[in-house]
Amino acid sequence: METLVQFLEKNSIYIVLIIVLIVWFGIYFFIYGLDKKVKKIEEKLEK
Amino acid sequence: MKKAYYIFHKDFSSELRMRFALNALIMFVVVSLSTILFAIGSEKATENVYAGMMWVVVFFSAMSGLSRTFVSEEERGTNLILSLIAHPVNIFLGKFLFNLVLIFFINTIIAILYLTLFSGFVIQNWYSFILAFVLGNIGIATSSTIIAAIIAKANVKGTLYPVLAFPILLPVILMLIEITKSAMVGESISEVQSEFFVLLSYDVVMLTASLMVFDIIWKD
Amino acid sequence: MKSILRITVFVLITLVLILSIVPPIVETPKNFFEFPLIPGLEDKAKIIFFHVPTAWLTVIAYLIAMLYGIRFLKTKDIYNDMKSVSSAALGIVFCFLATLTGSVWAKFTWGSFWHWDPRETSIFILLLIYGAYFALRSALDNEEKRARLSAIYSILAFLTTPFFIFIMPRLMIGLHPGALEIDPTTGQVKASSNPVIKFEMAENMRVVFFLSLTAFTLLFFWLWNLSYRVLRLKYKLQTEMQES
Repeated sequence: METLVQFLEKNSIYIVLIIVLIVWFGIYFFIYGLDKKVKKIEEKLEK
Repeated sequence: MKKAYYIFHKDFSSELRMRFALNALIMFVVVSLSTILFAIGSEKATENVYAGMMWVVVFFSAMSGLSRTFVSEEERGTNLILSLIAHPVNIFLGKFLFNLVLIFFINTIIAILYLTLFSGFVIQNWYSFILAFVLGNIGIATSSTIIAAIIAKANVKGTLYPVLAFPILLPVILMLIEITKSAMVGESISEVQSEFFVLLSYDVVMLTASLMVFDIIWKD
Repeated sequence: MKSILRITVFVLITLVLILSIVPPIVETPKNFFEFPLIPGLEDKAKIIFFHVPTAWLTVIAYLIAMLYGIRFLKTKDIYNDMKSVSSAALGIVFCFLATLTGSVWAKFTWGSFWHWDPRETSIFILLLIYGAYFALRSALDNEEKRARLSAIYSILAFLTTPFFIFIMPRLMIGLHPGALEIDPTTGQVKASSNPVIKFEMAENMRVVFFLSLTAFTLLFFWLWNLSYRVLRLKYKLQTEMQES
């Protein structure tokens, strides 16, 4: 754990990367959730 | 083709009789030029500024005057009669001709006033300027007419017209400014031939597109 | 089919993010994971992976909006108009992003946030065209008229865009690569020394760049698809409520 923190502090670019990936994953799963909801409504409307 | 001329003639003579559009336009031109005069006074400006300003005044007068051909028909409810007597192509050509004459007239006035009021505005290459003037007016008339047809169908007057027309007219305005600048410093036409080429192709493309598209706009 | 798209989008964008952020910019790249240094640009060169796709996407979105507008004019199916608006809505978002990201980069590369460089101006004009499109739509209540007139306006506006994208930057002096420049020695206007699209980009950067372009394009298609499905649902629910 210690060495990980040290490593991250030295190569800060990876901190940027982690943050960016977190943001992207968040956005992605939000859109994915929307897609699922829309599909549910569409199916309900079909029957 | 004759029908187009009749439609043009009807608009033209009713305009001469009543002069609604004409008076408003001329007053608009006088007011804007006066405003600029007061603002700038006798200070010298560069060619860029003079050229830009003139065509800005041209653009705004076009915006204030050219939508009338269609909007007045819509207001007076004469649309149906118009579509009964004439083929859409003729309707468009008639209105286009009217706007063309109007804009030539107004822009000539603007150009003359500009030349006399602003001592810094001198044109050295007249061929260049006049050719650009003619081609540019055709372009402005074409786009203004077709956009006027579009907004006549929308019920919001006034503000929508410049908003829609500005991006469409921008190529013409930009090329006109460039050519005016070069005409002011006396460059030959060959230096701005690409600009002229753009102007010419714009006229051809927009006129063709307008003729093809007008039918769809006009039918209700 | 759909899930393949979603998974590809997820993987590609994650990959692009990693590949664009991590590799350092060094003078002499030794392996695939190092980007070459371009003097004057240095670290900021990485913007090309994000700024160019947004500009590319806004044009594609506009093109799609116009194409579906034309399809509406042919088929009179309101569904095509829904596809058209949703593409335009996404397009204006990307246009904002392109203008914004370009402006931020301009500040740090050329000195100020806005220069009226021809390409900057043309992306701004595209923003105005989008704005005019939505202004027109909001002024029309009748849905058939609205769809018809906005389709026509999108065609007319599209005819002027080649001018802004291709002709203007070459005819006028500007900062973006590809525009006319002022020769430092003679003070005269001359043709550009940089090609418009730098295909001389280093091999590895080129790979990431095209990956990014593909990734964002696929993302666009997913978002667009969601968007018009929502519009269609809304429409169906409204008509159902009116019937019952």
